[in-house]
Amino acid sequence: MLLLAIDTATRRVGAAFASDHGVLGRVEVGGPGDSRPRHAEALVPAIEYLANECAVRLDQLSAIAVGTGPGMFTGLRVGVTTARALALALRVPLIPIASLDLLAYPLRHGRSLVVPAIDARRNEVYYAIYRPVPGGVQRESAYELGTPEDLASELEARGVDALLCGDGAVRFADAFRHLDRVEFAGTGHVAPSLSALVELAIPRFEREQFCAADEVRPIYLRQSDAEISWEGKM
Amino acid sequence: MVTRILGIETSCDETAAAVVDDGRTTRSSVVASQADLHARFGGVVPEIASRAHVELIDDVIAQALIEAGTQLSEIDVVAAVHGPGLAGALLVGVSAGKALALAQRIPYVGVNHHEAHMYAALLEDPTLEPPLLTLVASGGHTLLVAMEDHGCYRIVGQTVDDAAGEAFDKVARFLGFGYPGGPVIDRLARTGNAKAIR
Ligand SMILES: [Zn+2]
Repeated sequence: MLLLAIDTATRRVGAAFASDHGVLGRVEVGGPGDSRPRHAEALVPAIEYLANECAVRLDQLSAIAVGTGPGMFTGLRVGVTTARALALALRVPLIPIASLDLLAYPLRHGRSLVVPAIDARRNEVYYAIYRPVPGGVQRESAYELGTPEDLASELEARGVDALLCGDGAVRFADAFRHLDRVEFAGTGHVAPSLSALVELAIPRFEREQFCAADEVRPIYLRQSDAEISWEGKM
Repeated sequence: MVTRILGIETSCDETAAAVVDDGRTTRSSVVASQADLHARFGGVVPEIASRAHVELIDDVIAQALIEAGTQLSEIDVVAAVHGPGLAGALLVGVSAGKALALAQRIPYVGVNHHEAHMYAALLEDPTLEPPLLTLVASGGHTLLVAMEDHGCYRIVGQTVDDAAGEAFDKVARFLGFGYPGGPVIDRLARTGNAKAIR
């Protein structure tokens, strides 16, 4: 089994190859400090470089797993379009997984609620709330879009320990500092985890839980401005 | 030996793919218009266009291959329009093109939007050879370009403000003809009174 894993939901462009035994190699380019996103220029060369370094060929692929957000629209479109086009050319199945799940999964070993937040710009974050369960995390909310203050009051209302991760938690840290039951997961948990993508995708591959290519689309959560103002007028 | 090229275009509100042999013979050309999606907003909404491209691009490419009676393994080069155009929309075609080229281990070529318009004339009339003077009248640009040789261009003139196409669309919006209004203006202008305003 050879899996290609891609996540481009944040400014970090990530790709990894994995076999049944785990990750063979990974490339991560860019991060929260980048002044401009570079998904379109970085992703395909990263995959090509990685294939060479891992001594694998794309025609050996068994499946492609892709992080579907929510997150940066342009990044998601590059990742999803690349994954879909590769799947079309190589005739392999796609396994889409939400990027928020990929942030939460590595923090499954604690007792706190796990709360990934991805920067949505305009002073908002994409977030969801997860509870650690044996073998993983269980999502307890929808994928949400809201202000950091919305999320902070929700966590305060729950009144339990919570662990915040993701670039949204870093960017809007000040909105949560007054909450003494909220902790930050730290710099290792800023971008969606490629290892988590591999670990979550392999069992789905084995159970043949695939998606038709045209069902694999970015999770946007936010409409375009034109639609928002159009509906405002109705 | 024929060089078979798959071309991809997502610079605005049409998702398009074509298969062309040797840059001269069009084997297929598939265009999915999104005009319906944008009509109620009175113009192209970049974010809506970008989202629609993601939905449409695979099918448009697959259809272009089918209509050309070919398959990816017979394609020698993948090309996509790099711009100018709507940045988010362009990224979809570029990403799909790069991915297909990577999968097939064939070259990927980014093509300038204006250059593509100029070469469209060579598909219409295969006897054309440079030096040529070309008039590019696209939605966003109006340019007079001297094409001294293949790949060798000099802009000899352009509109100082809006492109002709933009002027058409703006007038149409003004007059309440909806979007896309250019074709409506074009049609009505044929029956207009050229002497009405002096
Ligand atoms: Zn054009």
